[in-house]
Amino acid sequence: MSETKKNTASTNWAAYIAQMESVLALELDDARRQELLAQFSRIAQMAQPLMDLPLDPRLEIAGVYRA
Amino acid sequence: MKTCAELTIQQLHHALQSGDVSAVEIASATLDNIEQSDPTLNAYTHVTRDRMLSEAAKVDSLRASGGTLPPLAGVPYAVKNLLDVTGQVTLAGASLNSTNPVAKQDAWTVSRLASQGALLSGMLNMDAYAYGFTTENSHYGVTRNPRDTSRIAGGSSGGSAAAVAAGLVHFTLGSDTNGSIRVPSSLSGILGLKPTFGRISRSGSQPFVASLDHLGPMARCAADLSQVYDAMQGTDPQDAFQADKPTTETFSRLTHGQQGLRTAVLGGYFSTWCDDDAKDAVKLVAKALEAQEEIEMPQAELARSAAFLITASEGGNQYLPLLRSIPQQFEPLSRERLLAGAMIPAAWYVQAQRFRHQFQQQILPLFDHWDILIAPSTPCSATLIGQETIRINGTDLPTRASMGMLTQPISFLGLPVVSVPLQTASGLPIGLQLIAPPWREDLCLRAAWALEQQGLVKVLTSPVMK
Repeated sequence: MSETKKNTASTNWAAYIAQMESVLALELDDARRQELLAQFSRIAQMAQPLMDLPLDPRLEIAGVYRA
Repeated sequence: MKTCAELTIQQLHHALQSGDVSAVEIASATLDNIEQSDPTLNAYTHVTRDRMLSEAAKVDSLRASGGTLPPLAGVPYAVKNLLDVTGQVTLAGASLNSTNPVAKQDAWTVSRLASQGALLSGMLNMDAYAYGFTTENSHYGVTRNPRDTSRIAGGSSGGSAAAVAAGLVHFTLGSDTNGSIRVPSSLSGILGLKPTFGRISRSGSQPFVASLDHLGPMARCAADLSQVYDAMQGTDPQDAFQADKPTTETFSRLTHGQQGLRTAVLGGYFSTWCDDDAKDAVKLVAKALEAQEEIEMPQAELARSAAFLITASEGGNQYLPLLRSIPQQFEPLSRERLLAGAMIPAAWYVQAQRFRHQFQQQILPLFDHWDILIAPSTPCSATLIGQETIRINGTDLPTRASMGMLTQPISFLGLPVVSVPLQTASGLPIGLQLIAPPWREDLCLRAAWALEQQGLVKVLTSPVMK
């Protein structure tokens, strides 16, 4: 199991969302937190294989095509 | 005898030029048809009746004075309600925008079309914020598919697709971040062009994901699509994302058809995640375009994930202040999805943006060997309104997120695509993507035109009465 995979699987996303709720000055109720957790967990699953991918250190973000 | 709605843009131009019909007659007939059909379709959020009649009167005056009519003179059209129209509020499918000030000027694309004599009939329904593939909008209602009104028209440019499929207007404008022109074009059985990323100015449109948003036309034939696309090209110094590329006229090249085009089918991810109707359609088009090979686009699934992350992050950030202040006014189907996107760690977002560059570097060499790549636009044909899942490859997938799974990797690359519709055995249409190298919209338009000449692509209108 890769490092990122272990991290994603073991991360306490409920705690992360609680932190972000505070950082972003949001006021949520439990129902919204629950739905947010479901949505965020799905995104985290999609992010994991991407974060496992080694990229060339010189690779910059994409722009518009020039050629 | 054909009605004006059944003519191509070029035929309509001739009819207008010869005096067989006036622009005011075209505008009045269009407005009557919208009044008849839209209570069922719900394609329009606003009809610009006065503007359309006024634009038509100007065209008729020009003709009466012996002036030369521009190519789009008297052609009825409508735009997705995320493009600014002078004097109207731009909704972007969201009721929280309904109290915003009216637009002071037309979007760049709308002003180009107006200067070419086109007649604006109104603004069209969409998924809230352009975040969805079904145009099931809790505030402005669902847009129904003219091919079967119990089904979705697709999204997010659902109103744009339905208005063309029903024959209300000759063309519409839509936007495509992850598939929002190609998905509704597929499900509603029309043609749609997503140009190269950075080709058409986005000035005066409500942004959703600046890194991925494209604007483009939707129509019933390749010639109409090409003429509208040509009219919208041009340099806009206000759009920082527009590439510095000279205008490439496409209309006069259409008749080159498939001559010399090297075509391949995209297999792997693209043939795995679609049903048998889509697979059959790919076979037919591959044969017609003399496709020589099936090739793979490695890491397509990862590209979809990266596009999803960029969309969630930029879209979430775009709406964060309002998610904080007026959450109750948000579309319930996407509110927490947007908020989750606003919380994405920066490392994920930047990784997705850098991977986009790597993916481009990896895929572009395919075009050393091929001019056109074929793939389905959607995994299946239009689903019933409210249907939560689609079963593809033995797996139940959420409809709202999955209808765009075959378009997302291609817009992530920023490549030009025409989606062409084919009839399936069920009677419903399904679209195929004809994908070309950057800046070669002419190639995918030529391939679409060639399929029309062979009778494989033939779009009829489906009038809808209340």
